[in-house]
Amino acid sequence: MRHSVNRPPTPDAAEDEEKEPTLQEIINIKLIESGEKERLMELLRERLTECGWKDEMKALCRAFIKKKGRNNVTVDDLVHVITPKGRASVPDPVKADLLQRIRTFLNSVI
Amino acid sequence: MDPSSAKPRCSVPKPCNHLADYKLKYGLAGYDSLQDNFVTGSNGKTIVCTPDRKIPRCFFCDGYRERLYLCLVCSSVSCLDHTLLHSRSDCGNDIAVDVKRSELYCGKCHDQVYDADFDTAVVSKYKKDLIVCRNAFESIGERSSKRRRLSSAIDLDLKKWKELPCIRDQRAKSCYPIGLRGLNNLGNTCFMNSVLQALLHAPPLRNYFLSGRHNRETCPRRSLDGFCLLCDIDIIFSAMFSGDRSPYSPAQFLYSWWQHSANLASYTQQDAHEFFISLLDGIHEKENKLRDTNKDAGDCPCIAHRVFSGLLRSDVTCLTCGFTSTTYDPFMDISLHLDSSHCLSTETTNKGSKLNGSTSISTSTLIGCLDLFTKPEKLGSDQKLHCQNCQEKQDSSKQLSIGRLPLALCLQVKRFEHSFIRKTSRKIDWHLQFPFSLDMSPYLSSSIIRKRLGNRMISFDGDESDVSAEYEIFAVVTHSGMLESGHYVTYLRLRNQWYKCDDAWITEVDEATVRASQCYMTFYVQKMLYHKANEEIGCAPTSSRRDSLMSVVGYC
Repeated sequence: MRHSVNRPPTPDAAEDEEKEPTLQEIINIKLIESGEKERLMELLRERLTECGWKDEMKALCRAFIKKKGRNNVTVDDLVHVITPKGRASVPDPVKADLLQRIRTFLNSVI
Repeated sequence: MDPSSAKPRCSVPKPCNHLADYKLKYGLAGYDSLQDNFVTGSNGKTIVCTPDRKIPRCFFCDGYRERLYLCLVCSSVSCLDHTLLHSRSDCGNDIAVDVKRSELYCGKCHDQVYDADFDTAVVSKYKKDLIVCRNAFESIGERSSKRRRLSSAIDLDLKKWKELPCIRDQRAKSCYPIGLRGLNNLGNTCFMNSVLQALLHAPPLRNYFLSGRHNRETCPRRSLDGFCLLCDIDIIFSAMFSGDRSPYSPAQFLYSWWQHSANLASYTQQDAHEFFISLLDGIHEKENKLRDTNKDAGDCPCIAHRVFSGLLRSDVTCLTCGFTSTTYDPFMDISLHLDSSHCLSTETTNKGSKLNGSTSISTSTLIGCLDLFTKPEKLGSDQKLHCQNCQEKQDSSKQLSIGRLPLALCLQVKRFEHSFIRKTSRKIDWHLQFPFSLDMSPYLSSSIIRKRLGNRMISFDGDESDVSAEYEIFAVVTHSGMLESGHYVTYLRLRNQWYKCDDAWITEVDEATVRASQCYMTFYVQKMLYHKANEEIGCAPTSSRRDSLMSVVGYC
């Protein structure tokens, strides 16, 4: 009994269709599975400490808490305020270093 | 709160109402059941894993990038926004755990909360993991007090156990600049390792390969001969700068190089300088073969020439009529004779004999060798050269100078002396003093000619002025031992810190050690490139950052 090979999928089947994982998701999965993400996070922590970024952020937090008052600050507030400043002040060499490593990693898994 | 009350600095704050309510209702049951989900990674951090060990994602929006929280009541994972929603809509589901940090969070207070019982649960799991990890270490047969200090506990996942040694190495030396990695000796290959280390940290070469300028995918050479030296070098660069600190074995590269230099393919000891030249030659040859050209070194676009090639100018002066003929020859490095006149025995000085009014120096200097290199040399009577003016062979003098300086300059010191008379070779062991900062302007043709002719208005080709004459040292290949059996070691200067690269072992050393070493090949790079490279391999402290967009040459 031959079925037509070009038969389109039934409408019911289309409903259950899962979204295709995006490239970012795939990269993230690969990074985590291989343990590379953990290593990169450690490396990033080190580099940010080395260049004084962590201390800078700490100082910013302290200043914010001092201004608002110790009992009027929540973790959410701090995260909200510090995150954009933190992201903006990551030194370019650190970014470049991490990018290079990710690139190298991707080259090795492709 | 009364600021003057004598409360200890780090006291556990009082629980919020919501946490208190949760504790009343559920007690420690929630914490205990969480224990199975606590996982301590190799970095010593305890995280919360989902039962199916999948990557945690928000139940509501599928997000995985932001902070995620696991509700202690219903075990659903959600991002911050949905955690807050969850807490509002589902009464009593206020307390959650930050999965990455194993810290309590209250959705009603929008804040982190603390509970001694929770912390106890986390720590006890951490300790359990630590014990397992210690047993694992002992079974592998390693003992290290340093590792215990790091106290890196591991996941019970068997896969990770194999990774342990290299993770340990990473932690121990991860403060070293990137790209610093030992090279395993594959059988008297220290001559190769030492030169490779120097080349790996030559800023122009490093940038070329790390920025992917040689694409292994589209490399046509591979299809021609089946191997490509540049591809193999690229592989080494990727491996060395990968972040892995365990020593690397450049076996594939060695094999490739043997293909190219068949006459040198053996496991016997070899000369590092010979290897260096043959390697550059191999890179150049491939380039030429591919483009089917026979370019002069001056125009050759191959990376070997672009980095190391300079121009040597030779002036031959007829001693009869003064006519000078000038020729230019490209060079990849400069080989310097050791200045033997400097190394007079101390007896002469003790006798008080003066040499041209100057005291003899018992150690030579690299500058002295360069002076000797550019000194006018009277050619012997058996070396009479044809003078165009006199139309016959005359006694002449020859003088060398630098017509064009390369980006990276390699100065080799001729320590291996071959005597044809005695039919022996010997190694000259004298210590040679070499500078860390080198100004090559006195050796440029313009300076040399001016010195010879006095201060005259002489025009020179624009080449010289384009390139700066100030150099900084970045690598020294040293040789110790005898001619037939010796050992090469490279000292690298990164971020103004010296590192000793002895095959697989990398150690920090101080300047004095480097200065006292017996240099064989010294590698200098233009000052600007050296400082730029330093910025790239390490972070400048944020306070001294000048411009936000430092040009990161060769990375993105």
